[in-house]
Formats: sequence, C-alpha cells, structure tokens
Amino acid sequence: MARTLIRRVAFGVIAVLGVAVLAFLLEFVVPGDPARAIAPRAQSAAVLENIRIQLHLNRPLVVQFADYFGELFRGNLGTSYVQRQSVTSLIMPRLATTGWLALAGVVAEVIIGGALGILSTLYARVRAVVAAVNLTLLSLPQFVVGLVLLLIFGFRLHLAPVTGGAGAAEIVLPALTLGLVGAPWYAQIVADQMADSLASAYVRTAVAKGLSDRYILWRHVLRNVLSPAITMIGMDLGAYLSGVVTVEVVFGWPGIGLLAVDSLQNLDRPVVMGTVIVGAVAVVAFNLIADVLRMYVDPRTREEPA
Amino acid sequence: MSAAPVMTVSASGPGRQAPALEADGLRVCYSGLPAVDGVSLRVEPGQVVALIGETSSGKSSLALAVARLLPGSAVVTGRVEIAGTDLTELPAREARRRRASLVGYIAQDAMAALNPVIPVGRQVAELFRVHRGMRRADADARAVRELARVRIDRPERVARAYPHQLSGGMRQRVMIAMAMALSPPLLIADEPTTALDVSTQAEILALVGELQAETGSGILWITHDMGVVAELADMVAVMYAGRIVERAPARDVFDQPQHPYTKGLLRTRRDLRAGRPGERLYQIEGSPPALAANRLGCAFAPRCPRRTEVCDERAPELRTQAQHLQAGNALPDASPARQYAAAASPQGSAPAAGPAPDARQPESAEASQPGTQWLAACHHPEVSS
Repeated sequence: MARTLIRRVAFGVIAVLGVAVLAFLLEFVVPGDPARAIAPRAQSAAVLENIRIQLHLNRPLVVQFADYFGELFRGNLGTSYVQRQSVTSLIMPRLATTGWLALAGVVAEVIIGGALGILSTLYARVRAVVAAVNLTLLSLPQFVVGLVLLLIFGFRLHLAPVTGGAGAAEIVLPALTLGLVGAPWYAQIVADQMADSLASAYVRTAVAKGLSDRYILWRHVLRNVLSPAITMIGMDLGAYLSGVVTVEVVFGWPGIGLLAVDSLQNLDRPVVMGTVIVGAVAVVAFNLIADVLRMYVDPRTREEPA
Repeated sequence: MSAAPVMTVSASGPGRQAPALEADGLRVCYSGLPAVDGVSLRVEPGQVVALIGETSSGKSSLALAVARLLPGSAVVTGRVEIAGTDLTELPAREARRRRASLVGYIAQDAMAALNPVIPVGRQVAELFRVHRGMRRADADARAVRELARVRIDRPERVARAYPHQLSGGMRQRVMIAMAMALSPPLLIADEPTTALDVSTQAEILALVGELQAETGSGILWITHDMGVVAELADMVAVMYAGRIVERAPARDVFDQPQHPYTKGLLRTRRDLRAGRPGERLYQIEGSPPALAANRLGCAFAPRCPRRTEVCDERAPELRTQAQHLQAGNALPDASPARQYAAAASPQGSAPAAGPAPDARQPESAEASQPGTQWLAACHHPEVSS
C-alpha cells in the first residue's frame, strides 16, 4: 500500500508540473500585452518599456521559463502584476472561500443524488419521476440553475441574499446549484450499484440468513455503493477547488474561480499561473485522498497491483 | 453416510421426527410458465438426497422455493414443510425470523455469495447478533468457534479476512459455517463443489459428511456430478424439465436405473470413466425443452431413444418398484401409485389419470411409509441402454 501511495504521489507531481508547463506556454499564446493591461492610459512607449523591463517581460521566453520554474521549486508563486502583492497571499484566502463552497456543494450533491438514487431503486413507482428529474437537471447548465434559484429565492421570495459575498447565508444558493447540477451523476451511480448489489448472490445469502430488509440495505448494500461514490466525491472536490467559475460569477462568490477570471482579463500572468497550479494540486490531492479512503471502504482495492 | 441413515429411517417407528423436508405438489412458475412442475420430495433427518439433472431442469428453483428465497415474481404453489413448518405459509416477517433456524443454504459460488466488503467472521457473527441477540464481542467469539467447527485452521485470523483473501475451499467452508450456524434441520446445497478443484471437493464432501453425522440434519444436495452422488447420497431424485422422473435409493439408481433419461446420464458418466481415448463420449441427443405452460405427454420424449406415440399423449407416472415391475406399461386407474402420479403432475398434465382432490390422502399415507422406493416409470420400463 505504501508503494502504491508513493507511486501515486510521484505521478501526481508529474501531472501538476505538466499542467504548469502547458499553462505557462499558453499564456504567451494568448494575445495581449501585460504592460498595456497594467497601464492602459500610458501614452509613451518608454513607460510601457519600463514596465516590461521591471517585469522581465523583455527577456527571452526560455529565460522567463527558467526563472519562473526556479522560483516555483522554491515554493514561490511570484508577485501579481496588478495588485503588487505575492500570489500566495492572494490565492490562499480565495482557496479557503472556494473550499467552503466546494464542500457544501459536494454535500448537497451527495444528499440530493443519493436520495434520488435510493428512492428510484427501492420504489418502482417513483422511478420514472426520478429519471425525468435526472434528465432535466443533466440538461441544465450551471448558470441557468444558478440564475433560476437566484430569481426565485433571492428576488421573489427574499429568502436568500442577492448581493454576493462569502457568508453563511450566501453559501446556500451556490451550494444548492452545485448540488442540483451534480446530483444526477450520484443518483445514477447509487442506483446502478444498488441494483447490482440487490441482485447479487451475497444479498441472497443475507436474506437466507434471515436478516431484515433494513439491515441488509444498510450493512450489505450501501457499503458496496460507498466505494464508487467516494471516487466521485474526490473528483468533484478537486474539480470544484480548482474553480467553480460559473457559480462564483453568478453568485458573486469571491473564490478562486472569480480570481482566475479577473486575472485572465488583466493578463496578470503570475496569478493565472498560481490558480492553475493550485487547481491542479487540488485535483491530484483529492483523487489521491479518495483512493486512500476507498481502500478503507473496499478491501479489494488494498492489494498491491502486481 | 451410505446406507446407514436409510436404515435408521426405516427402523424408526410411528413417533419419529417430522421429515427434514417434505414437499408435495410443489410448483414454481415464472410468468405463468412452470420451472418446477408438481414436485413431491422428502428428505428424512440424517439423510442426503441428491437432486440431479441438467442445467435448467428446475433444480435451483426447487431449492430456492423450499427456502422461500425466490423473487416475488415467481409464483410458488404446493406444500413445502421443513421439519413440520411451511415457510411459504408464514407471513413474511415470521418467515424471515425463522428461516435460518429451519434451513441453511449453501450457494454454488461462495465468492459471490459472501459480501466482499465485510470480514467473513462478521458475516457469520451477524446470525448470532440478529437471531440470538448476542452482543458484538460475544457474536464475534461465537463466529470464530463456528469457523473452527468447519475445520478452518487459525479461525481467529480467518474471521478477520475478507472473502477475496481466502481460497475457494475456505470460502465454501465459511458458507457451510453460516448455513449450519443455527443448526437447521435442513441444509440445501446448490452445487457447492462445482467451482472447486477435485481435492478441495473431496475435503468439502468429507466435511459435510462429518458435520451431518454430528447434527443429523437432512441435506438436499443439488448437483449434476454423479461422482458426488455416489460419494454422498442416500437417495437420488432425478429431475427433468421441472419434474422428478425417478427417485430411488442411490445404489438402485446406479445399479438399475429405470428412466431412459437417468440411463443416459449414467451412461455419460460411464463413458467418461471407462471410455478409451479417441472414442466418442455418449451424449443424450438434443437439449432440454423450454418452459411450456401446458404440456401433454412426456417432456423427455423428443430425446428419448424409445419414443412411441403414447409418449406424446401421456406424461409418465411415478410408481413404486413392486407395482412397477408388475404393472408394465399401463396402470389400473384406481391404483394408489396412479393417484400419486396424478398428484405429482397436477393441472391436467396427466390427463388420463383425472384425480379427485382427495386422492392425495392415500398417496401421502403411502409416501410416508419409510423406505418406500419411488422409481420413475415411463411407458418403456424395459428400455436398456
């Protein structure tokens, strides 16, 4: 198991580096001059040239690349072009803010999706209804769901704040949006796994042993559903942490996604790089955590691959 | 294991125990089509009855119906008593509560039949927690003892293992431990050795023999392995297309099989053992029939080497050996055996017999005579292979 972990971490580091290199190169493909973005009203070429020299933008790409990755290995993500403060100090509070939203969103997904999946498996009568709900939610993009929720609960019913922010009241609607849009996947996985499990020989054994339906459901069936659900939770947490851009924009949630969008518009390359790298690390880390958790839940995944 | 239990049964007087299993006119239908078509079967305490037949002959449906383990879509009619209790008559809750104390079920594929994410000790312990109200620690300790009882070495260690960490033989031992944990009077073994290698098979057979000697349970052993039958069975019931076509003490089936289908099965086995290399194995021509709602005549007729017109008109009838030998082709309508035959294949599938409902009574009385040899009859008892 330790060997598996070490190998997974090594692959993770390689993946993050690959993402960083790609992002770095892409930034130079994106048209636009950071110097102009910083001083949009500057008339003289000398001022712009001065800015470029300060930011080392005048040096060859290879040198800039070596500089950036040299600093990166020392744990330094650089300094924002626009805000004149370190990228790390810009990103960390945003990461925490997005972290709360990601967590709340995944909790909502699991509850809504799990309930839909369990209901449609156990009660044949609601199966068609659940399927219709799933299909509807699947075909709705995040921003539509977000805007509809905002319209109903914010502007009509005045149950939720509409002004944006990162408080306890503000988190409800964006988390619900993530939950609704993500729920069909969980519903499907739960329903599939439960159906497999209910039809399995081990459930027949459990019935032969005279265990009650509820006992069989909780101890025998749902434990077998847990494993794939955990994998998906890990993937979602990683993906959301790397930025739930649409939801953050719709609800004015000051997270890392909003930061990434702003810095892209400002051509604030160090901040863009920072958000990309932090996002990649989040994806890798949460997938790894999910795999480790899965080993505890499903003993069959514990064995070392040959 | 061999003849002794039969002798015990014959010797026991009127005050003997209820049979481990008594099925009468058992029918299992899936969407109106009978998979089990009026089966009457009895397993005495301490007896091993082998139920043999091809895939899809209805063996497993029969076994699951006895334990009331079939899905709701299956319609089960007829009487099934396990040690005097009819599980199919009880309300669902009551049936669930008592099932494991009445019948232990050993599945064919122990890997699939054990929950992959729960340690096997826990899976045994569950029985004691749910049915005996034991606390977790006590139940776990009891589970270890049960594992030791099925001759598992270092049972403490095995109890903590997950199914995929055990060998096939070990998993099947765990299944047996679970099936026997509450000492049920009846065990149903659904081809439990099919997936195992030969030496493990022998170990499992020996284990079941030993355990049965301790507990005196009756065993219904489903198999299509004649070797297992020879090893273990006291009685043999041969099933074909949902019906029992022959039933007799194991030795008699091997020595003088009556039904052409049984003869075919045995010949296949004889060829396997004694056949010379390069020689073509005997095989019964054709394949078993699909489920049919209303069947006139003998289900085996299309594959039977001695088929005649009468086979298409009349289902064969079960008779006792004595009558069988005397009676030849047709029985007088009023004979008890004829009535038995009619009860065994209801819903007019034996149209010539036309039994009155109360005709079952004398039949049951006769069937309950210990040691009665039930044999198949077909219209061609003189068939020789």
